[in-house]
Amino acid sequence: MNPRDQRAGPVVWTCIIAATCVLLVLLEKMLFLAVPFLLAIILYYALVGPTQRMIRSGVSRNSSALTIVGLFFAIIALAGYLAVSSSKSIPNGTLQNVLGHYMDGGIAFVSNTALALETNFPLLHQMRLNDLVNARYAAYSENFAQRHLADILLSIAAGVPSALLAPFLAFFFLRDGTRFGRFLARAVPNAFFEKTLYLMHEVDLTARRYFQGLIKLTALDTIVLAFGLWSIGVSSPIVLGLISALLAWVPYVGSICGCMMVVMVASTDAPNDPLVAYGAIIVFVLVRLLDDFVFMPLTVGRSLRIHPLITVLMIFIGGAVAGITGLMLVVPLLGIVMVVGETLGRLITNPRLRARHRNAIALRTRQASADLLL
Amino acid sequence: MVFSFLKAPALSPRLHRLKNSALFATLTPLELKIVDGLLHERVYLADEIIFDEGEEGHAIYMVVSGHVTISRTVDGKIESVASLVPGAFFGDLALIDNSPRGAQARAADNCELAVFFRADFLALMNTDAVIGYKVSLALAHHFAQYVRARYAGQPQVEVL
Repeated sequence: MNPRDQRAGPVVWTCIIAATCVLLVLLEKMLFLAVPFLLAIILYYALVGPTQRMIRSGVSRNSSALTIVGLFFAIIALAGYLAVSSSKSIPNGTLQNVLGHYMDGGIAFVSNTALALETNFPLLHQMRLNDLVNARYAAYSENFAQRHLADILLSIAAGVPSALLAPFLAFFFLRDGTRFGRFLARAVPNAFFEKTLYLMHEVDLTARRYFQGLIKLTALDTIVLAFGLWSIGVSSPIVLGLISALLAWVPYVGSICGCMMVVMVASTDAPNDPLVAYGAIIVFVLVRLLDDFVFMPLTVGRSLRIHPLITVLMIFIGGAVAGITGLMLVVPLLGIVMVVGETLGRLITNPRLRARHRNAIALRTRQASADLLL
Repeated sequence: MVFSFLKAPALSPRLHRLKNSALFATLTPLELKIVDGLLHERVYLADEIIFDEGEEGHAIYMVVSGHVTISRTVDGKIESVASLVPGAFFGDLALIDNSPRGAQARAADNCELAVFFRADFLALMNTDAVIGYKVSLALAHHFAQYVRARYAGQPQVEVL
């Protein structure tokens, strides 16, 4: 019987959930390392296939990893350049101007929507909904720079150098990943060796399934959202689709940010036609529904074999324990801790393996002291 | 020489020992190097158990140095069924499926083994079909030998 078929009991599951929460807290404390590591792991699982093919065609491990990582970033840079240069609606000027342009478009859309609601619903007119919205926005944006901008810029400044670590980490994972696995396996006693190899393989398989599923899910989301936005006439649909799909890696919060971004661009593109922005919202919601009920079960959902209720509960716990990092990392982390916990539980509680290990220690002690008087 | 790169690279002593195993005898030096990158080295002391009868198998073992005894429980008694020398391999059924081990393997003296994990073999089959088919053919030859020996009534080859 496959060891994974023997499901863990409540005690092991309590330990798995507790260990996941502890790891999340530690990861949040070491966010400067957790983010580049996460990006590097995603890159590793995206590029490990072509790298291994190069190695098996006779190219050295170092050259293969270097070539694949270099090619990947060259393609990303080229795609980014083409996307920016082909965008017609982006105004010339600094990043601040571009952001301001789209923010103004978004605010105008909200204001127009509030006005339209006031016209159709007298109650909202009596409430002066539009004035209320404008006042709230003015109050929020008046001291925005003093209250939030410094924090945001500081966190970006702190995050950029660590994010630049990701390609280096990915390169070393690709070059030395197999060797590191063998190095770890060497430290395992003979009695537990085969089972530990199986455990390491299962951990790798779980992470591979999850991250490769995530990459497929991102590609599917990008294509479907880009097609939807293109069909209603929003500019740069592929770039918007890709950014929204990447933001969706953060459960709930990411989707809301993605939707706001799409609406801002749609309302800026067609300031006099609110139907485009409403259409963008409908397209976004439809794609999220497709993602949740069709794409997710076909890609990431199959990878971890965790009950959906536990997954949802753990997302809430992850968010409460470690914020955005917790939301992002809780599912893959739970998958890996689950595999490690279940297998370790079986290894530690196997009396025959422990007896064989004791026997091996006794043999080593006897051999080491064969010519000694003790 | 201009065309020296076309010459097959010289085999290291370690790769020579792998080449001596029936499982890898048909592999080219480059293929041997690739397989060597996937193998784990283990050292067992005399009388140390390598795996137990009935245990789930995840890997095939090759004897690099030393000797290994294969024994089986028949009617409650332990019978030694084979003694393996350097170059021999055992635990081969684990490469085909996750079936339980058919016998116990124990180091007869201090020995060094190379371990080929099943998942690595399956991944190799996906990414390098040529190595996969060569190793599979070597396994098929081994099974054929076993079947022939059984028909002859003298099972000297063991399949575990």
